[in-house]
Amino acid sequence: MKFSFFHLMPYPYLPDDFDEAYETSALTYPNKLFDPRLGTELYHRYLDEIEYADELGFDGVAVNEHHQSAYGLMPSPNIMAAALTRRTRRARIMVLGNAIGIRGNPLRVAEEIAMLDHLSQGRIDSGFVRGIGWEYFGHSINPTKSRSRFNEAHDLIIKAWTSQELFAWYGENYEYRYVNIWPRPLQQPHPPVYIPGAGSTETMKFCALHRYTFMSVYSPTRVVRLWFDGYRRAAADLGYVPEPEKIALSIPIWVAGSDEQAHRDAEPALLWLFRRGLKQTMEMVNPPGYVSPGSLRGMLSLDRKPFSALSYEELLADGYAVVGSPGTVIKRLTEMHEQLGGYGQLIGLFAVGPATREQTRRCTELFATEVIPALRDLGTG
Amino acid sequence: MPEVEFVEEYLELEGGRVHVFRAGSGEPVLFLHAAGGAGTWPEFHALLSERFDVIAPDHPGFGKSDEFPELTAIDDLVYHYLDVMDALGLARPHVVGASFGGWIAAELAAHSPHRIGSLTLLSAAGLRVEGHPVPDIFLTPPSRLGELLFHSPPAPPPAGPPDIDAILAAYRDATALARFSWVPYLHDPKLERRLRRITAPTLVAVPYHDRLIPLAHAQRYAERIPGAALAVVADCGHAMYLEKPAVFAGLVATFLGEHGLGENGLGENGAAS
Repeated sequence: MKFSFFHLMPYPYLPDDFDEAYETSALTYPNKLFDPRLGTELYHRYLDEIEYADELGFDGVAVNEHHQSAYGLMPSPNIMAAALTRRTRRARIMVLGNAIGIRGNPLRVAEEIAMLDHLSQGRIDSGFVRGIGWEYFGHSINPTKSRSRFNEAHDLIIKAWTSQELFAWYGENYEYRYVNIWPRPLQQPHPPVYIPGAGSTETMKFCALHRYTFMSVYSPTRVVRLWFDGYRRAAADLGYVPEPEKIALSIPIWVAGSDEQAHRDAEPALLWLFRRGLKQTMEMVNPPGYVSPGSLRGMLSLDRKPFSALSYEELLADGYAVVGSPGTVIKRLTEMHEQLGGYGQLIGLFAVGPATREQTRRCTELFATEVIPALRDLGTG
Repeated sequence: MPEVEFVEEYLELEGGRVHVFRAGSGEPVLFLHAAGGAGTWPEFHALLSERFDVIAPDHPGFGKSDEFPELTAIDDLVYHYLDVMDALGLARPHVVGASFGGWIAAELAAHSPHRIGSLTLLSAAGLRVEGHPVPDIFLTPPSRLGELLFHSPPAPPPAGPPDIDAILAAYRDATALARFSWVPYLHDPKLERRLRRITAPTLVAVPYHDRLIPLAHAQRYAERIPGAALAVVADCGHAMYLEKPAVFAGLVATFLGEHGLGENGLGENGAAS
């Protein structure tokens, strides 16, 4: 089992009247509410926390891309990864991922990841995401072209990384007459690819076809099981069984000295994440054309509650998050391994919402020193 | 309600099938529906069909028309409607368009002025007027659509369990709209300077209380289209042909009556019919 530390870098300082006064913390949430001085402190504190996870022996540290939002302060994940390349030594640096659906210039992504691969001496994992709904509003990208732009950008980036001949590219969305990137990546044929997915059948097939790592995002165990099974089935249709580490569970985790302490601290933090950080309108989540009719039908028939309607107890019971003493967390993650039909990577969100520096540090230490050793061989026995 | 029976038929074009409502007799009126108006035959259409041969296709990706995925921008819709007119044998019909359909009608008239017998724009989208932005329809929740689209919003339908098929149908229409109008948002920066090419008699008719497409857009259309008349209707919102069908059908019928298609008969294409 591989264990990674994923930091979302939230801006937790929302006003007291946030719940009543704002329908979202993204897109239209006014940026006058961003305090630049606090922002600087947050960036440095958050990078310290990631570097600490590397020191403690996590296999990977992860960053991601989000725009115009208090949910996460990383419009450019590659800048965060660059900041980490020379301050971390062992952990893989996971960019989860570049939102190539909304990028204007995917060749730039190929170039930046190739640079990061050299700066990190071959420790880069390259995730690709489409970008989420509100970002198609924010960056004025037509959501009906999301899938096509994602697919084409992906194909172009892989070819740019692997081709040793100059080539021209003419696609539905992009045209390049000269593709000839310098540098080429260090890892051959190219850095490992991760696809964080919210369950569309298209994503499963795509992952299985390219043998990429599929990772879950914010969902109850019963839904993640459907996704993992979808991935395994898509692989089976192609005639193979995916290696365990190609299936990654990503989930908020809060560990403290005792269950009581953990719940006391985690409850406000998790509720912040699901009710404020992820507060979006339906229109922002699914702009027209962003999902296929089949996927939309699937999502509607799953009849899931909106994040804001989930109680703390439901978040824990349904498997949206794991909270407790090291012993409880070990037990719960083992149970989920069983319920999910296995996973070979755990990507934990250890710095949730308004978690303090001390809380995050303690949680990271306890997980690294007590949970990881106990679960290292999970699934191999 | 008036008595004219409508029929539904499909046109077979190279890229797929176009669903068409049709009723009435007299001079042909090609009606291009608003973004929310696909797949329906409302009272406005019925009233107009008492005096005219009303032909109302669903746009590509809307209502019961096929997807036509290769059409991705407003200019594609111009060529699409030239194909539709050819398939229907319409040489020079009256063209009436509302909102999104009004934008298509204006583009069509600027592109092929000789194919348009008369042009009626009802709260047409298509322009960007500095200082008079169009609210983001894609970001507007269903609960606020009524107040955006109507001067006196109808009572919301009684709450019930979500109808997945209805949600999917609405999402499909919205997806088709987004395909053509997400960016540039509900306009074509090149349209305004092309409007001078329009030669057909033109009526720009708008509700005064249009909260989606501000009145200034209609005024700009009326300024830029040579000889265009502007009619403003009080106490009505953007969904004009649903909110005041009789008033708008009356305005349109009067205008079309005053601008008959003339010696070309009914605007039918002799070669095709």
